Amino acid sequence: MAARSMLRSVWTSIAGLKLGVTGTNVKVQQRINVFQLPTLTIQSRGIRQVVEKQEGKTTTIEGEILNIAAGPQPPNPTAKCPIYRWNLQHKYNYTDVLLLSQFIRSDGGLLPRRITGLCPEEHRKIAMCVQMAHRAGLLPDHKPKLPEGHVPKRPKPQLNRYLTRWSIDSVKPIYKTGLKWCKKRMAVGHPVLKDNVCYGVKPLYTKH
Amino acid sequence: MSSFSRSAQQWATFARSWFLIDARVQPPGKIATMCAVRLQGKHKPIYHALSDCGDHVVVINTKHIAFSGNKWEQKVYSSHTGYPGGFKQVTATQLHQKDPKAIVKLAVYGMLPRNLHRRTMMQRLHIFPDDELPDDIRANLTEELPQPREIPRKLSEYTQEEIDAFPRLWTPPEDYKMK
Repeated sequence: MAARSMLRSVWTSIAGLKLGVTGTNVKVQQRINVFQLPTLTIQSRGIRQVVEKQEGKTTTIEGEILNIAAGPQPPNPTAKCPIYRWNLQHKYNYTDVLLLSQFIRSDGGLLPRRITGLCPEEHRKIAMCVQMAHRAGLLPDHKPKLPEGHVPKRPKPQLNRYLTRWSIDSVKPIYKTGLKWCKKRMAVGHPVLKDNVCYGVKPLYTKH
Repeated sequence: MSSFSRSAQQWATFARSWFLIDARVQPPGKIATMCAVRLQGKHKPIYHALSDCGDHVVVINTKHIAFSGNKWEQKVYSSHTGYPGGFKQVTATQLHQKDPKAIVKLAVYGMLPRNLHRRTMMQRLHIFPDDELPDDIRANLTEELPQPREIPRKLSEYTQEEIDAFPRLWTPPEDYKMK
């Protein structure tokens, strides 16, 4: 019964296609896919909201398609990759957390490329920037969830760092740096970002 | 200043000032160049190597220094005690744990000219691992220098309005269970 009424309400909402959020006494459940709706029939891009309405003895559970405001249009809508659509190709860095946070999960991992629609080079660049941002401590709320009652064996030294290319445990100390013509340099940043726009006079040094 | 009297102008030119540098989340190399320039007196037009025109520099928060790249693990500080088998090599992390002032001190020492004035200039450098300064030094401070590196903002430091003002670059497909 409830399923049939839900399907009917979904069909009516598609016919109208514009449904604002109704009323203030409505109990709203955010985005729960109760069952798999046939995707061929539903072509809208809106986010669905499950809305429960109590009218005396009857309860109507409706899946309303919210009309979310489209937001600002990208300056280059024909491009395939979101970064190219917004013309941000060589302009972002590990510090642009607002941009990077759109491509990560809540535990800090990157979302798959087939979902985000990034081209492979940009996906790699975003991955490196996200790694550097994590190591710099710029994404404090996107840490992986540790199991309950987990106590770390030794307290890790809290050191500030930035532009870290390699993972902390994988790097060995350079005991012999060598002579000037064959010096073992330390890696800073990532070569993937070497094409970034440089507004200053000094170029970006990757080997310190 | 042209409005100063002769004695006041003389005093303003030749007095030794005290600079303050906050090294929080700053690279120690850049801090050290700023210190070395001011300890030698090279920031003054009246500079001469023999005229002892260097100023005092106070560096605070050296415990919170930030190295770029993987230098905490890769950079090695070597020393020899003079005795056989006394060659010691310590990584930057280990040295920082043992003494939080050492990294900045060694960096400045290496940037000063290799002459007998170097030791006097090092005596005029005051390094503190924390915010706490003794009162007599705090009373002497004249100027605070701007930090060389711009500190990036964490995601938690952005207000919700700024996060909302940033446009969504891509829309997720409807049937994808986000995060």
